[in-house]
Amino acid sequence: MLFRPSSPAPGQAASLRGHTLDVLGLGVRYGGFTALDAVDLSVRAGEVLALLGPSGCGKTTLLRTVAGFVRQDAGQVLIDGGAIDDLPPNRRRVGIVFQNYALFPHMSVAENVAYGLRARGEARARIAPRVAELLEMVQLGPLRDRRPGQLSGGQQQRVALARALAIEPSILLLDEPFAALDRSLRLDMQIEIKRLQRQLGLTAILVTHDQDEAMSVADRIAVMRRGRIEQLGTPVEVYDQPASLFVAGFIGTTNRLPCTVERSEGGRVALRLADGTALDLPGEAPPGPALLTVRPEQLVLHDAGGPGRFPVALGLALPLGGQAIREALLADGTALRLTEPRLGAIRELGERAFCGLAPGARPALFPRPDSEED
Amino acid sequence: MSLAFPRRALLAGAAALAAPSAMLRAARAQKGGSLVATTYPGIWDDSFREIVAPAALKTKGVEVEFQALFAVDQIAKFAASRGAPPFDAFVLDPGPRITAIERGMFEPFDGGKLTTLTKLPPQLVDQWGAGCAAQVVGIAYNPKKVPKPGGWDDLLKEPWVSRLGLTGFGTTFGTVSLIELAKVFGGGETNVEPALAELKKVLPKIAAVGTPAAMPGLFQQGQCDVMYTNTQTVMALKDRGVDIEFATPRTGAVAFFTTLHIAKGSENAEAAYKYIDTVLSAPVQQALTKPPANLVPVNKDIALSPNLPMKSLDEMSGFVTHDWAKINPLRGQWIERFNREMAK
Amino acid sequence: MSGAAAPAAPAPGTITGAAAPLRSRRLTTWGLAAPLGLAYAGFFVAPLLMLFAVSFYADERMTRWGLDQWQRFLLDSFHWKVVADTLLLGLKSVAATTLLGFPLALLYRGASPRWQRALLFVAVMPLLTSVVVRTFAWIVILGREGVVNQLVLGLGLAAEPLRLLQTELGLVIALTQIEMPLLLLPLLSVMARIDPRLLDASASLGASPWRTLFRVTLPLAAPGLAAGCLLVFASSTTAFISQSVIGGGRLVYLPAMIWQQAMVVANWPFAATAAIALLVSVSAVIAVIAYAGRVAAGHAHG
Repeated sequence: MLFRPSSPAPGQAASLRGHTLDVLGLGVRYGGFTALDAVDLSVRAGEVLALLGPSGCGKTTLLRTVAGFVRQDAGQVLIDGGAIDDLPPNRRRVGIVFQNYALFPHMSVAENVAYGLRARGEARARIAPRVAELLEMVQLGPLRDRRPGQLSGGQQQRVALARALAIEPSILLLDEPFAALDRSLRLDMQIEIKRLQRQLGLTAILVTHDQDEAMSVADRIAVMRRGRIEQLGTPVEVYDQPASLFVAGFIGTTNRLPCTVERSEGGRVALRLADGTALDLPGEAPPGPALLTVRPEQLVLHDAGGPGRFPVALGLALPLGGQAIREALLADGTALRLTEPRLGAIRELGERAFCGLAPGARPALFPRPDSEED
Repeated sequence: MSLAFPRRALLAGAAALAAPSAMLRAARAQKGGSLVATTYPGIWDDSFREIVAPAALKTKGVEVEFQALFAVDQIAKFAASRGAPPFDAFVLDPGPRITAIERGMFEPFDGGKLTTLTKLPPQLVDQWGAGCAAQVVGIAYNPKKVPKPGGWDDLLKEPWVSRLGLTGFGTTFGTVSLIELAKVFGGGETNVEPALAELKKVLPKIAAVGTPAAMPGLFQQGQCDVMYTNTQTVMALKDRGVDIEFATPRTGAVAFFTTLHIAKGSENAEAAYKYIDTVLSAPVQQALTKPPANLVPVNKDIALSPNLPMKSLDEMSGFVTHDWAKINPLRGQWIERFNREMAK
Repeated sequence: MSGAAAPAAPAPGTITGAAAPLRSRRLTTWGLAAPLGLAYAGFFVAPLLMLFAVSFYADERMTRWGLDQWQRFLLDSFHWKVVADTLLLGLKSVAATTLLGFPLALLYRGASPRWQRALLFVAVMPLLTSVVVRTFAWIVILGREGVVNQLVLGLGLAAEPLRLLQTELGLVIALTQIEMPLLLLPLLSVMARIDPRLLDASASLGASPWRTLFRVTLPLAAPGLAAGCLLVFASSTTAFISQSVIGGGRLVYLPAMIWQQAMVVANWPFAATAAIALLVSVSAVIAVIAYAGRVAAGHAHG
């Protein structure tokens, strides 16, 4: 059983650029639990696609199936149009950056980076300059002889990245790569990875449960839930036009206002909130009970009442840079969150005010489910 | 801080602890005496506790406490005690007996104090102690696997040699057997070289070379079907349903006695005589001949087991005996010689 | 074993004001360790020193001092052969337990928790029976009319019963089973601590399962393996009962020689000399194994 992984094809290894990944009808079951349920996904050449969802949604299973650690029960995984289902993990040329980096603790930084090249049977003379080049790229040249235990979290992640890139992977998989970093470092690393990915033209999949991370790094986001993809789109699309109540709730902060759709005609919807306030919005919806999902920045406070405005009692305000997040209570006690400019009139806790939709805001409207669920 | 206080306190505490046991001993002594006697670990220990101790208490009012120690340990422990004997009576085989005599570990023995004296063969009682059990050594074989061997030299011939289980000079029975084997080839009590030379010639054929303790197990498992051993082992294996018989070599079976002695400096010598008298009494001797002890009795009133190669104790005077005063100084060398010659 | 806890050293950056409570804590630690320490001093160190002293008696009656016993031991090639055989037996047991135990540990790693419990029980079982019982069980298995030979003869694989009992091969087979828990327990605990993602990482970087085994799993398991090998070596070189009962009289190892000299010949000075020879030679090999383990551990955790 002693075999050496053969390189897929000579010449092909040269470029990291322009590889595509397609997942067709992928299904994985663990006993009675369905981890992936007929997932279809196409990752375009050179893009970063984020798999976003709560824990247990199947995003990690999808990643491990692509890497070859999990064997699917149904469906196919294709790289550049060719099925890789029958290849063991060591022959897939899929680079992975693990959540805890999984650096080999008994090897130096340089040995870690060289590991994949050695495994591939690369000539010694070619390995050293390549390792130096990779370490230069992640700005770790001087630390080449340190052991992973002697590095900071950010440095460890750079090593993990260099190690994964060393094998010139067709796809780079990032498994919650920023979770172990502190906040300020996280942003630096996000920028760094994005820069490298752009520079090299890499196709990458980022698994995360952090929507901010997905928004800032990914070109497209696949929001997953219960082994399925709920919505696939650009960050703006997913944020502004959530395909489901779940996506609306999972991405960003959302206020859910119960309402009743009274009429829907001519591209406009007339609805009435629980307290009787009438609203008129662009869009279409079947008449009946519904939920209006409104982002905090889509709400504005007014001192005086008017059409489409409803009374609120003001709660706490949390200043966040140029803006504050303000809590406001509806007449029935439901709490809303809205953003409030910190300039202008300073409102006090407990003060009465009126709340309305911001000009041009297009909140999403969903049929009200029989029972609330996530 | 001074250590004086704790030391004084400790001494006082120790004295307080010692007092009750000393009083207990004194109380016991008033009743008719008590003593600590040694016994061999294993079957001897079990039998002496079950049979001898109750009998001594009942018939003589003597309380016996046993310490199970091999012969060498008894000598070592006595030697280490320097003047305050750790026990009052020894039980020893001929080799260690000689060692103990040479090192002055026994009180002189007065056979006249034994009520059983007239029941014992006269050679069993001397100035150092009294024999309490006989051991008869010869050849044991599996009658279903090999024919009955006729003599010691048969052990080195087919069909026996390839089924032979061998043990060295570590035990009394092993030592005397190898001496007898040497005699057949021109050696003697002080010259076992001929036996070792002959053994070496057939060594590759020999079925097993084991420690004495392992031999019964090896025989039972069929690893060997001939060995030299004592009648006690033969009877013990027979009781367990093993096919085994005792064969008396044509040059005669070897006999020796296990003896009881009073330790030098013992304060309970009178109780020790009573204890020895109990061991030699007919009821106790009778009980000790039964399984699992299977001892060969020394009291002439006791009928001998049909498995033994003699009808009466008097016949034993014709058996081969050895002078352990000559053997002892050589035994250490022999043990090492055996190791070297037999080692792979 | 490796990584024995040293008395707590002040952590770097400790504020000097905390020195006093620290010192009293250290005193408490020493106080708590004192009973065991005294027991060691009384029941281990002192007898060892006495053993050393006894070996310098010239005669077996222990009346004069001299180097006679040491001369007798060291100037005789037979004794050197016994030392070499004893150490070799230890090394063979280590090799056999490692060759069988390491794959078992790999199996354990990959098994479900239920199977892990079952495997652990099987591995530890030899420890739950007395060494005498285990040893005699091997007589029943390896003997001329034992299980193995009945099988071999029954299958017609040999015309004559195989000689297994009273051979070094038989002894090593028995010791392998008897000593296996000593290898497995430290090895399994170290193996269980290896991050499974390291193995995934190795595979994703293109390493074959064999390369992963030799470049990742083995180096990271080295400290546990070294600790296990050390225990197996120390235990099998001194396994007096198994050596004498299964090995028989023709295989002479140091423990049996010590026993004979001490218990049968009553030559304590020579027995003490042989005992020290055993102690020194076994310790020397153990030091080498421990050093190898430390080097590997240093690589893994440095």
